[in-house]
Amino acid sequence: MERSLDSSIGKSLIEAVIIALAAAALAIAVNVLRPAGLPFVAKEEYETMVPCPEPGGKVTPADAAILREEGVFVVDAREQRDFDAWHAAGAVRLTFDYLDPVPEADLQKMAGDIARAKAQKVVVYGDGGTPDTGDLLGREISARGIRNVFFVKGGAAAIRTDGAKEVTP
Amino acid sequence: MNRFINWRGHGFLALPARWYLGWVFAVASIHKIADPAAFAMDVATYDILPLQLINVMAICLPWIELVAGIALITGVKSRAAAWLTTGMMIMFMVALVLALHKGLDMSCGCFASASMEEGDEISWKTVLRDSGWLLLSVYVLIFDKAPLGMRTAVSLLRHRKRKTP
Repeated sequence: MERSLDSSIGKSLIEAVIIALAAAALAIAVNVLRPAGLPFVAKEEYETMVPCPEPGGKVTPADAAILREEGVFVVDAREQRDFDAWHAAGAVRLTFDYLDPVPEADLQKMAGDIARAKAQKVVVYGDGGTPDTGDLLGREISARGIRNVFFVKGGAAAIRTDGAKEVTP
Repeated sequence: MNRFINWRGHGFLALPARWYLGWVFAVASIHKIADPAAFAMDVATYDILPLQLINVMAICLPWIELVAGIALITGVKSRAAAWLTTGMMIMFMVALVLALHKGLDMSCGCFASASMEEGDEISWKTVLRDSGWLLLSVYVLIFDKAPLGMRTAVSLLRHRKRKTP
């Protein structure tokens, strides 16, 4: 019985090849006859538009109120002058520049500081733009093995409006 | 094992499986046949085939899907059609896994052109869905020994005619 099943399946495999060839021949015939038929070989590379994978690790958006929570390590992703003008209390600056990648040594140092602080959450805030530098720096930090990384939606402006953290002049 | 393979109920269980699988493949082929250029773009987006094979694949594959789908629905050469759907499902799953491995953020392009399709981004759920269809194909291939369908109906009619004086 098993032998008959094997031979039946084997026979159907040959039939499958014949059917596939017949369908392919039909497809080619239709393609030749239709006005908008494709050339059999593309003349130019297809310009496929696939977004690149998001760089870095996982980062979760959060409201400014997250800064009120205990055990939060706060990172400011803005420029030095913005940081000097205002920053959330206890925030550590690590500027994210769109054009200049953050030095790996600085990221590793930041990851080490976070690990030593034994913080439960890492909250990064940036300029609140699109894309938000806080989000982008958060991804970089998360990619260095730090978990529970959040970025503040709306950036520094949202924190100031919310009054979530004591302001340091 | 033999008892399970020879169980007569498989013919009845395989019927809805065949119809469903046939419907899936027939429906999936329609947009590809209607717009082979868009399908060629979808094939290229997976970034697996060399340029020389993309158009040939885009032209031929949808017709093989359609023929296999019709064969499964009608029960004509359904086992051969199950071979084809099994092969195609394995091929689609390999393409999906490779695309996911590369981190491509793209639509499946399975039932509509990827450029038109929204909310059907490839994921491991897509692989799981395809695994279900692969299992159905294998089931039909192995257990649908005496398929219920047009072929059976025609042979029954012939048998009756012979008996009628």
